[in-house]
Amino acid sequence: MVMNATRTRAVIFTLICGLVSAGAVGSVNASAANKDTFSKTKTVTREFDNGSSVDVVDSRDVTVRVDHTQNLRGRERVHIDWSGARPSAGRASDPYGENGLSQEYPVVVMQCRGLDDSTLSPAKQLSPKTCWTSTRQQRSQTATTRQAIWRHDLYATDADKAQKSGLDPFPDNTTCTDVASFSTHLTPFEAAGGKAYPACSGDTMPPESAVGAAFPPAELSAFTDLQGKGAVNFEVRSKTENESLGCSDKVACSIVVIPIMGLSCVDADRECRKAGRMSAGSSNFANDGVDAAVSPVYWWSASNWRNRISVPLSFGLAPDACDVLDKRPPTAFYGSELMSQAALQWSPAYCLRKDRFKFQHNRLPDDAAFVLMEKGEAAAAFVSGNRERSTDAPVGYAPTAVTGFEVSYIVDKPDNAGEVNNLKLNARLIAKLLTQSYPGSSLGAQHPGMANNPLSINLDPEFKALNPGLDSISREAAATVLSLSGSSDVIKTLGEYMVNDPEAKAFIAGDSDPWGMVINPTYKALRLPLDEWPLLDTFVPTTALECQKQNPAAYLGQIAAPVNSLRKIAEAVLDAWPNVQTKCDRASSSDPFKVGRVERQGIGSRMMLGITSMGDAERFGLHAAGLQTKSTVPIDAKFTSAAGRTFIEPTNASVQAAIESAKSLGASRAFAISQADLRKSPKAYPGSMIVYTAARLSGMSRADASKVASFIRISTTEGQKPGSGNGQLPDGYVPILKSGTTAPLFAAAQRVANEIEAQGGLPGSRGPSNTGAAVAPGVDAAAADNGTGKTSPTTPVNDPDQMALTAAHNSAPAGVMLPLIVIIALIAGLLSPATRIIARGRRR
Amino acid sequence: MTETLLAPRSGQRRANEDPRMWPVWSRPAEPLEPLPEAATVASTSFLVMAMVCLWFILHVLVLGGLEQHRAQDRLYGEFRTQLAAATAPTGGIIPPGSPVALLRIPHLGLAQVIVEGTSAGVMLNGPGHRRDTVLPGQAGVSIVYGRARAFGASFRDLATKAVGEDLSFVTAQGTSAYRIEGVRRAGDPIPPLLKANEGRVTFVTAEGNGRLSMLSAGHVIYIDAALKSKSFTAPAGRLNAISPAEMPMASDTSAMPVLALLLGALAVATVGIVFARRRFGLVLSWVIGAPIILALAWMASDLAMYLLPNLL
Repeated sequence: MVMNATRTRAVIFTLICGLVSAGAVGSVNASAANKDTFSKTKTVTREFDNGSSVDVVDSRDVTVRVDHTQNLRGRERVHIDWSGARPSAGRASDPYGENGLSQEYPVVVMQCRGLDDSTLSPAKQLSPKTCWTSTRQQRSQTATTRQAIWRHDLYATDADKAQKSGLDPFPDNTTCTDVASFSTHLTPFEAAGGKAYPACSGDTMPPESAVGAAFPPAELSAFTDLQGKGAVNFEVRSKTENESLGCSDKVACSIVVIPIMGLSCVDADRECRKAGRMSAGSSNFANDGVDAAVSPVYWWSASNWRNRISVPLSFGLAPDACDVLDKRPPTAFYGSELMSQAALQWSPAYCLRKDRFKFQHNRLPDDAAFVLMEKGEAAAAFVSGNRERSTDAPVGYAPTAVTGFEVSYIVDKPDNAGEVNNLKLNARLIAKLLTQSYPGSSLGAQHPGMANNPLSINLDPEFKALNPGLDSISREAAATVLSLSGSSDVIKTLGEYMVNDPEAKAFIAGDSDPWGMVINPTYKALRLPLDEWPLLDTFVPTTALECQKQNPAAYLGQIAAPVNSLRKIAEAVLDAWPNVQTKCDRASSSDPFKVGRVERQGIGSRMMLGITSMGDAERFGLHAAGLQTKSTVPIDAKFTSAAGRTFIEPTNASVQAAIESAKSLGASRAFAISQADLRKSPKAYPGSMIVYTAARLSGMSRADASKVASFIRISTTEGQKPGSGNGQLPDGYVPILKSGTTAPLFAAAQRVANEIEAQGGLPGSRGPSNTGAAVAPGVDAAAADNGTGKTSPTTPVNDPDQMALTAAHNSAPAGVMLPLIVIIALIAGLLSPATRIIARGRRR
Repeated sequence: MTETLLAPRSGQRRANEDPRMWPVWSRPAEPLEPLPEAATVASTSFLVMAMVCLWFILHVLVLGGLEQHRAQDRLYGEFRTQLAAATAPTGGIIPPGSPVALLRIPHLGLAQVIVEGTSAGVMLNGPGHRRDTVLPGQAGVSIVYGRARAFGASFRDLATKAVGEDLSFVTAQGTSAYRIEGVRRAGDPIPPLLKANEGRVTFVTAEGNGRLSMLSAGHVIYIDAALKSKSFTAPAGRLNAISPAEMPMASDTSAMPVLALLLGALAVATVGIVFARRRFGLVLSWVIGAPIILALAWMASDLAMYLLPNLL
C-alpha cells in the first residue's frame, strides 16, 4: 500500500514535470525529481549504567540521506550520505566485508531483507538475522569471558547475556565446533527460502558468502570525517545476485545504516567501556587491533542495533520478468547495447499489457542488426547512425533515445583519501590507451620503438598535468582502457572524436607528444574511424619467467583484452577488476602454468578505465571522465595544468548541447552529429549519440509494421519520462521531448512511425516499381532459403539407397618418380663414357 | 742435408735403375691427348647425375629400409615402455610422431609400430595414424596410412597377400582383433556406415601398374579391416581438421628450408674436398671427406623424401 502510493505520486509528479517544464535541463548525475529520495534524522546514543543512574555519555543527531530507493535493479548503486555522526578512527583502506572490521566508530551500511515496521508480520520485518554479511567473522563471535563484552550490553536480553547465545537450542559440536569455556554469540542468517544458517563457521554460512564468490562484498563499515559527514555508493543485490538474501519486486528489503557509537554497558566492565585507542581521522593501514566496544564487529548487539536507520527499498522486475509473465512470442529488436538499460525498463510496459506486443531487445553489433533488419529477419534494428543499404528497400530512422558513451573510471587518491571523482582525459590520452602505447611493465617496454614511453597512464606527464595529485605506481591495468572487442557505433564515435582532435590526430600519425612519447609503431597511421578497434600488436616479449615461456602471447594484447559487451566493462569498473589477462597460475608446482585474469584491485590503489554506456554507468553509479573538447594550448608545447582546455562531463545539458548541433540529412536518413561541429560548441559532450529504431519502409508484414510504429510512438512519448518505473526512461538517457532542443528528433520519430506503418516506401518516390522491387527481394530470399534448406539434406551422401563409391585418388609423382630417376640414372650413366668416347673419336 | 736424404734428385735415381724393370710404374703412359674442356665437363656432369640418382634410389629402396627398421626398433621400445607405465595415449591431441599402436599381421610376418600423424616426414618412421580419426580398437573408423614402396614399404603386400587374414592392434586400451575384409580401388563401393560400438580400420596405401610397378605407386587403394573384438570407447577431443600435408599422397613442404641448407652444406663439403685433395692428397682427403659427404647426402635424401608423396 505504502509503496503503491509513493509510486503513483511519483508518476503524477513526472507527468506534471514533463508537461510543464518540457525543456527542463538537469544533470544526469543529479537525482531526478521523481526518484524517491530518503532522508531521516535520528538521535543515537551511548549509555553507561552507573548503578544508580543511566548516563548518556555520547549523543549525536545523525541524518541519513539516500538519493534513490525505488525500483532498484541488481547491482545498482545508491548514493548514501550522512551527517552528524561521530568521527571515525583507524580508517581501513578497504572498508568492505571483514576488511572493514578493524575500525573505530564507523558507520555500518548493510542490506537486510524485510522492512523496519513493527506492524508487519515477523517474517516481513528485518532483524540482524536477515542482514547480509559476507563472512562469519562479521556476524558470530567467540571470545574469552573477559573479552565477551556483548554480555555487558545494557540493552541485551537476559538470553543474549548468557555464555552461549544467539540460537536456541545452541547447535551441538557436530554442527559447530565450540570451546565450552568460551563465550559465543551467533547471529544466524535466515535465508529467503526459510533455511537458517547457524553462521558459526565458513561452512555454515549461506552459499553466496563463499570465499571468492562471484560478487565482492557490498556491505561496508564506512568512514565519517572530522565534520561528522560521510558518503558511500552502496551496491544493492537482487535475488539474481544473492538468492539467500532474496530481494525482489515481491520481497521488500532495506538498507540498514548503523552509526557505531560503542556498546552501552550495564556495568563497569573496562573492556565494554573502552572509547577507542586511535585518534579521530587516523588511518589504520597496518590493520592493527581496535577496541572492540567501538568497532563494527558488534553491529548486531542490541545497543548498536537500536541506533539503526532503516531505508526501505523497492526492487524492479527481474530482467527475465517478461519471459516468465508473458507467454506470447516476443518481437525482437536487435542492435545497439546503448539501449539495454532503457529496454530493461521499457519491456515490462509492453509485455504486461495485453493490448501491446511483447517487446524484446537483443544486443547485437549495429551493423549486423541493420543487415538482419534489411533481410527481414528482425522487425527493427537499433543503430546510431546512417548505414549503407544493401537492398533496395528504403529504411526509416526514428530517433528513440539520446544517450552516449562515457569513459568510466575507478581511481583512488593516494594515502587513503577516497575515490577520485573528477578525472580529465583528452583525445590524445585515449588514443595512447587504445593504441597500446603504454608498455604496462618492463615486459612491454621491450617493444621496439616504445622504450621511452611511460609504463602506464598515471606516469604520463600529460595525464599528471591534467590530473595532479595521483599516485605514480605503474600498473598494467592503467596502461589500457577496457574496450569493446566487437563492432559498435560507440567505437566509431570514439574514433571520430580522436581523429578530429589535432593532438590525437598528430599522435596517431606518428608525431611524439611534447614529452617524447610515441605511438606503438604497429598502430602508426591507423585510419580512423573504425567500427571495430583492431588488435594489431603481436609483440611477444622475451623473459626468463617460466610462465611466460610456457604461454607466449602478445603481451600488449593481453593487457588490452577487450570484451564483447559494454555491460561487462561497466561491471569490471564497478568491481575494479581489470580484464588484464596476465595472471599466472597453476594448481600445483607440477602442473603447467595457465594465464588468466588478474585479481580485483585492492581498495586504496585502484586505477582502472573502461568505455561504458551512459545507461550502465548511471545504473552502477560509475564516475565519468570529462573529455576535452577545446584547447587553446599549442599542440607541441609542454603543459603542467589543465589551463586553456575545456573538459566536458556527460550531463543532460552537455548531451543536449551536442544534440543541438545534430543536422537533419533529410527523410530516410539519420541525423548527423559531427565531431568537428561539436568542437565548436563550448558545452557539448563528445560522447553523445542518438539511437534510432531503423525499420524498412516497405516489404514488412502489416503486423510487424504496426508493432514497430507503435513502439516508436510509445517509446518517444511515455518512454521519455524520466524515472525508475516500468516504461520510464532511466538515468543516462536524455528525454526526447515535443519541444525544446530535442523537438526535431521527436518530429522525425513521429513521421517515420507513420511511414513505417504505411509501408509505402519512401515518401515522394512512391510507385509500383519501387514497391515491387522492394518486396521481391525479401520474398525471393525467403523462398530461396526454404528451397536450399529443404534440398540440402538430400545430397547423395546421406541417402541410404544410393551407395557411395570410392573416389579415385592418383598421384603422378608417386607413379613416375622412382622409375624416372632410374631411367635418368641409366641414361646419364651411359652418356658419361659415351661423351668421352665420342670426343676422343673426333680427335682422332 | 735432410732434403737430399729424403728426396734424392730424381735424375740421380733414374740413372741407376733400369727402366725396363718397372714396366708398369715408370713407363710413361701413352700420351693421351687431353679431351676438350666441354667434353670433360659434360661427361663428368652426366657421371655425377647418374651417381646422385643411383644414390637416391639406393637410399629410398635399401638404406631407407634400414633407417625405418632402426626407427621401428626405437619406437617399439618407447611404446613398450609407455604401455608398461600406462602412459600410452588413448585419445585427445597426441603429438605427431609418437607411437600410438602396435600392428601385427602374423600371415605377413609384419609387426609395425603405428605413429601419430600422416605427413611424409612422420611416415619415414612407420605407418601413420590419421590424426582426425579414432585410434585403432576404438569405436568408429580409424585410418592408417602406410608406405607402399619406399622406406621399408611396410604396406607393400597388404593388398595382394593379406585379404581375409587376421590382424591385431595393441594400444593403450588393450588388444583388438581385426579381419581384413577387402581392398577398395577407385569406383568400389564404400562399406556401410558403422553402427554404435562397431569399429573399422581402413589402411591407405598405394599401388602401381605396368612394367615398372616395382617402383611406382600412383593409385591410392584402401584396405578395410573390421573389428572382431569388443570396441573401446573413444575419448573426446580429437582434431576435427588436419593439414593438407597429411592427406593421402600429399607432400610436406615444410622441409624445404632445411633441405636447401643441407644441399648448400653438401656443395661446401664438395668444394672443401677438392681443396683438401690439392693440399693433403687423394687418400687423406677421401678418408676425411667421405663420411661427411655420406652423412650430408643421407640427411638430404631423408628430407627429399618429405617432398615425395607420403604413400610412396
